[in-house]
Amino acid sequence: MPPLPPDPPLVLALPKGRILAEALPLLARAGIRPDPAVADEASRALRFGTSRAGLEVIRVRSFDAATFVAFGAAQLGVVGNDVVAEFGYSELYAPLDLGIGRCRLSLAGPAGRAVELATRSHVRVATKYPALAKAWFAARGIQAECIRLSGAMELAPAMGLAPLIVDLVSTGRTLAENGLVEHAVLLEVTSRLVVNRVAMKTNPAVGALVDAVAAAVAGARAAEAA
Amino acid sequence: MPRPALLPEGFRDRLPPEAEAVASLLRTVLDTVRMHGYLRVQPPIAEFEAELGRWLGKPGGARLFRSTDPATGEGLALRPDMTGQVARIAATRLGSEPRPLRLAYGGTTVRARGTEIDPARERTQAGAELIGSDGVAACVEVIGVAVEALTACGVEAITVELVLPGLVEALARETWPVADAEAVAAALDGKDRAALASLGADRYAALLDAAGPAARALDALEALGLGGEPADQIARAREVCRGLEDVALRLDPTERHGFAFQSWLGFALFGKAGETTLGQEVGRGGTYAVVRNDGSAEPAVGFSLYVDPLAEAGLAGAAPRRVFLPLGTPPEVGRRLRAEGLATVAALSPEDRADRLDCPLVWDGAQVVG
Repeated sequence: MPPLPPDPPLVLALPKGRILAEALPLLARAGIRPDPAVADEASRALRFGTSRAGLEVIRVRSFDAATFVAFGAAQLGVVGNDVVAEFGYSELYAPLDLGIGRCRLSLAGPAGRAVELATRSHVRVATKYPALAKAWFAARGIQAECIRLSGAMELAPAMGLAPLIVDLVSTGRTLAENGLVEHAVLLEVTSRLVVNRVAMKTNPAVGALVDAVAAAVAGARAAEAA
Repeated sequence: MPRPALLPEGFRDRLPPEAEAVASLLRTVLDTVRMHGYLRVQPPIAEFEAELGRWLGKPGGARLFRSTDPATGEGLALRPDMTGQVARIAATRLGSEPRPLRLAYGGTTVRARGTEIDPARERTQAGAELIGSDGVAACVEVIGVAVEALTACGVEAITVELVLPGLVEALARETWPVADAEAVAAALDGKDRAALASLGADRYAALLDAAGPAARALDALEALGLGGEPADQIARAREVCRGLEDVALRLDPTERHGFAFQSWLGFALFGKAGETTLGQEVGRGGTYAVVRNDGSAEPAVGFSLYVDPLAEAGLAGAAPRRVFLPLGTPPEVGRRLRAEGLATVAALSPEDRADRLDCPLVWDGAQVVG
């Protein structure tokens, strides 16, 4: 049998912000140390080298990380399962739960106002996750009219944009500060290592990298337990 | 005001040289399969909607580009795929021809909706179907012909991934029972180990571990000691691999992406065009059942591919070089050069120039010069 084709260089898409900060120690454990500028939010660079030969890192918004990987522009990425589920890209594999970026996707509304879902045929929701929100309400027989926002969802109820929001909640403090309470959890969220489907099949270096990160995750869990 | 030449989403004009490349690649594929004894059939682009889906054992899943026949009011649809039409021909008009029946086809297909990754709705499909067997020898022949056709198109570093579309279902039914087999299959689609664990289907992760180069993958699957239908499928896949020693083979036992109607074996072809790794499968195929009008089924195996992405990746097939014939060049010179395989572009006026007519070659009155 002839050998499989040789390995082209790999690109790992990392999301900006909190998940990046949590991902870096895990990647270091796997022997992947990106150029320190990657963690510097003031840096204008978007592409960074790493300590691992043949691996480059790009820093993008978390939704865009999934898109880069789905289209094969990056072979691997770190993406929350909220984003994986929102897009439903058939080209994404999510082989590994990194156990970081833990939060939940929740339905929230103004405190003191009950949400009577049983009697509703229609709701209006402000969210960054229209597909997930629509599907969750549809499963309850409710048509959700989703107003797409990319941030500051908590403003929507008070400003009269939408009475309900579907958004990520980690401590619940932002909700409380804006007079909102959580009504239901749509999805428990952690970050996943995602991989482009074709890259996984055609490039053996991709599988090797997944294995290295999997070992790092297992190592981090063992260290936590000890 | 009319829109300036806007086309609907998923439809496009192809210009030279890409249009030529699409035609040439299509011809290359059809010439290759013809040399292996596959006979061309040409089904129509539109059919009764109800007929399109019913000749393959399982539904294909493509969304149909529908309309109503203005003449009769009946529902019509454009073909989203030609395999089902070839199955219809094999089951009906060629139903009493001796088996195995080897058929080839190529043409335009249209689907109602593209995907975000591949938004094209009109695509040029080519392929070959072998009706009457889905055994090891038939699978080896069809995969070999598919590799040869892609090689002739200029695709390099070809890898064939074998898949077992019925394996997970058979396992869930016989060997490794689970509460929600569809949820397990969906978790396997995303290679999502966390989801498998939460479904109480941890041992299915062994199938994810097995995916990889075929020989190693088959060793890993055999080591699971499965028995029954799953073991039988794995043994047959091993035999197919033995028949394809000169092909780079992988095996992914849980992949079902794009294998909606295949039975025991599916395969996908990956490759490169020059330095570019093609981002999607360049061809796919597998075994399936042709369903006859009396409900009986006949085994079959085939492959098909879309030539458009190959042309977009820069593959051209064999295009003739262009030679400019200045005004007054005798007609017999043109005839001779065309017979030698050159495309001739004749000047119509003294103002015509070779470079403006995309001709790297010129007839100087005595010979072709570059």
